[in-house]
Amino acid sequence: MNADSILMEHMMNPKNYGVLESSDAIGIGKNPQNGEKVAIYIKVKTQDEPIIEDISFQAIGCTTTIVSGSIITSEAKGVSFSRAEELVSITLGMLDSLPQEDAACSEMVALALKASMDTYKERLKDENFPIISYRIQASCTSPEENENIDTSYEQER
Amino acid sequence: MQEIFKEIHQVWLATLHAGFISKTSSRVTLYNFSDIFWRHFGWVENYFIRNEINYNYDIPQVPLRVEKLSYLYNDIINRLKKIQTKLESIDDLRIKERINSDIIYIVEALKLLEDEEVTAFSMNRQYNDMELSNEARDALTLFLFEESYKEYELILVYNYSKANSNSAFLNRIYEILIGESVFHLRSFGEMMATMGILAVPRMVMEEIYKFEDLEQFLLGGIDEERKAKENCKALSNAVSQTNAHFASFFEFINNQENYHIALMQEALTYILSQKENI
Repeated sequence: MNADSILMEHMMNPKNYGVLESSDAIGIGKNPQNGEKVAIYIKVKTQDEPIIEDISFQAIGCTTTIVSGSIITSEAKGVSFSRAEELVSITLGMLDSLPQEDAACSEMVALALKASMDTYKERLKDENFPIISYRIQASCTSPEENENIDTSYEQER
Repeated sequence: MQEIFKEIHQVWLATLHAGFISKTSSRVTLYNFSDIFWRHFGWVENYFIRNEINYNYDIPQVPLRVEKLSYLYNDIINRLKKIQTKLESIDDLRIKERINSDIIYIVEALKLLEDEEVTAFSMNRQYNDMELSNEARDALTLFLFEESYKEYELILVYNYSKANSNSAFLNRIYEILIGESVFHLRSFGEMMATMGILAVPRMVMEEIYKFEDLEQFLLGGIDEERKAKENCKALSNAVSQTNAHFASFFEFINNQENYHIALMQEALTYILSQKENI
């Protein structure tokens, strides 16, 4: 399978799409400019450290968001929180090298994954802790269109 | 009852997609059956609304990737039999009997359909023997993925609004828009199947169709239709160099969006006038 066919496979049949009924935590990444969002559901098992036993995602977004969600959740399935946090950092670190639209979509998925793990950690202390939602910094729009928009990371509860 | 609703939703999608996949006259039969399942979906939804039962359109991923259409027919038949065993949970005798009677006939009719090799997932990205530049092929691929999902989403959004509205004026508009989106979805689905890139439909998030502000939804919808027009126009330009057939098709779709915008504006004017009258 070449890169094109792998990409096509994620477009045609996104992995881990849908609601995970037995999830332990949910996290959200959103783009406040256009209303797009990604919700990630994780089921966690604890050994020496928490491990993402199962994961799923849902999105209001474009095909690039779906492909990013499919790839990132596939990578995160079965790994420890520390490995998943590395995955988030790597994804956020490479945003500058991506086209603007793709960067916004990947960031939204990465932040949703981060939010799901952060929600889980908070729920260990307070089981009623609300779902954490992070806003993206990247933009789907051109810098000219974007100059009046505040894009600082913001956590919503 | 909720289980029946989800199963009917999946049967509707599976039958519709089997229609996209088929390359024979079975396609028409499958579209007719999918229309019947769509009506079953509406009956059960109405039952929920009448009885104030909370519901949503969540479903698991529908498995469509098969090598032969008969495998998909068998899956649909199994789902239909499962629905039959659960019909007892419906206390509305008329709905129960209507659904059961349709299922009895359709199960037998599906068994008689000719088997076909499935090429809808081959990823060949060729449209019959038509010439397409790489740029046109990529633009067309992305467009079909985006818009086929969008049409499915719109069908559910308009359907939910229609089912939960008592306004005959608005329901006329929703009904037309559902019909238009079904036509677009069929057109795009058939193209995707021909190009070997048929996508498995993915679930629509609840907040998309359970919106609170109809005025805002319509304004957003008009904006989306305008974007869809631009996408069609851009695609028509991208493919026009190499393929006149596609260019004229997307020009046609582009012009249809004008009608959708006019209908949504009509609905918007109506709800604003209703507000003023309060």
